[in-house]
Amino acid sequence: MNEIINTINLTKTYGKTKAVNNINLSVKKGEIFGFIGLNGAGKTTVIRMLLGMISPTSGECYLQGKKVNARNIDTWSDVGYIVETPYSYPELTVRENLEIVRKLRVVKDKDSINWIIKKLKLEKYELKKVKHLSLGNAQRLGIAKAIIHKPKILLLDEPTNGLDPAGIVEVLKLLKDLAKNSDVTILVSSHKLNEISRIATNIAIIHDGRLIKKIDKKELEHELKKSLIIDGKYKNEMKLILSKAEYETNTIAIENSNEKLSVLQVHNEDAVNNPEKIATLLVNNGYPPRMLKVQKEDLEEYFLRAIDEFGGGLK
Amino acid sequence: MNKIIICVPIEIKKFLSSKTPLITMIGLMILPFVGGFFMIILKDPVVAQKMGIISTKAQILGSNADWPSYFSLLTQGISLGGLIIFGFVTSWIFGREYSDRTIKDLLALPISRNTIVISKFIVIFLWCMFLSISVFLIGLFVGKIIGLPGWSLEFLFSSSIIFSICSLLTILLSTPVAFFASFGRGYLSPLGFMIITLILSQIVVAMGFGEFFPWSIPALASGIAGEESAALTNISLSIVFLTSIIGLISTIFWWRYADQD
Repeated sequence: MNEIINTINLTKTYGKTKAVNNINLSVKKGEIFGFIGLNGAGKTTVIRMLLGMISPTSGECYLQGKKVNARNIDTWSDVGYIVETPYSYPELTVRENLEIVRKLRVVKDKDSINWIIKKLKLEKYELKKVKHLSLGNAQRLGIAKAIIHKPKILLLDEPTNGLDPAGIVEVLKLLKDLAKNSDVTILVSSHKLNEISRIATNIAIIHDGRLIKKIDKKELEHELKKSLIIDGKYKNEMKLILSKAEYETNTIAIENSNEKLSVLQVHNEDAVNNPEKIATLLVNNGYPPRMLKVQKEDLEEYFLRAIDEFGGGLK
Repeated sequence: MNKIIICVPIEIKKFLSSKTPLITMIGLMILPFVGGFFMIILKDPVVAQKMGIISTKAQILGSNADWPSYFSLLTQGISLGGLIIFGFVTSWIFGREYSDRTIKDLLALPISRNTIVISKFIVIFLWCMFLSISVFLIGLFVGKIIGLPGWSLEFLFSSSIIFSICSLLTILLSTPVAFFASFGRGYLSPLGFMIITLILSQIVVAMGFGEFFPWSIPALASGIAGEESAALTNISLSIVFLTSIIGLISTIFWWRYADQD
């Protein structure tokens, strides 16, 4: 079984609003599938449907080839999940909460609690009541609850919320390790695009309930637009020279050392691949550049461009 | 069955770690002591005269200071107070999962949602039974301390049966509260539901249809409206059982089929 998570024409309607509209997803074994979208795009609704928490209006979800249904309880033995902010029983300690999850997950190995406490670095807090935990540690506990039973599938909705930068790095490393070394299939939703881009093998963009882009990491590398950034004292003259040489040039603002800078941007492949040609051209015309930099679009820009091209952009 | 054995101790642990057991215990344990206080007043007419309003109230609640009057008072108390206290226990056990947002962790497990709901009902039943038995035993202790007349083994047997029936009927009426806690996703709806049933039960009894209204039946069975209304008809019993089953099934169905957003 190669296809672990699968949705077919998945749709969820609330009144006249289509929260999720005809979504087809396919996640293969060991993949980290980044599910990105703005708040309210439909990410959580898809995850809830995959977990049988809400029923689709139409369409189907499959986990390991089995149709998702609240009655199909065997499906859940291999699934760990976080849906939005994880919550635990506030009057119980971290260890007691994990003990409850271990029993509910029917995990016989009692040592799994010590293992997960160590893995998520919760040793210092294991006897602390959950109501006294910081947001970050409550999040760590949520992740611990999701993986205590060593699931084959992880459905994680914004798993790094509330974590400090070091915590984010640790969790991303852990997810990468689970996918690479334990063949865990991970669907991770987030609006923090740069985090997702660090671990995802595939990315899907959801906007207004629709899947507007599905792309794997290699394709993404090709799709991320490159441009040549040029700065110089006489921008208008430089722009004129470049235009005459048939380079499509526009002026954009960039941030450089916390300072907003107005620079020229050229998208032509020839310019991006041969910046020295541009330098020569400008020097020969008496307008030497101060800066020449090949810049690659980041996932955030790519995402905004994707939803803009789709027709629902923010720009 | 195995999974119920896993779930019930978990539910007990969650319940006992909260303040609800203590609150409900204190709430219901007042009953035998207040009853005992009225008996003391009734026993001593001089004190009763000096007490003014309190003695008047005591005269209404129990005409004589003896074991039958005292236990009649306790049975009426558990039938009325139980509706509130047992309802409170139920609304906490179900409603807290929504208020604390821990419900998400109970929905996609290798243990069915039915098992979790039934485990919660088992804990509600066990705790409410424990409370009822405690009220009965403390009642016996308080009655002995006061030195009430009219004690016999026959009396103990008959009063314990009436007390048990009334407690059981009241506990059975907790299941609809669980449905409202799940439907309303918290404590507010079930508490509102309890208040409405209490008000309605007063109105329905006043209209003379109390034996057909589930929430009036335990109080009527306790003899609150006089000896003649205390006899339970099969129809009344069936109404309580049916209400309880409807509450149980609707809660199970809600957990299983409703969207858990």
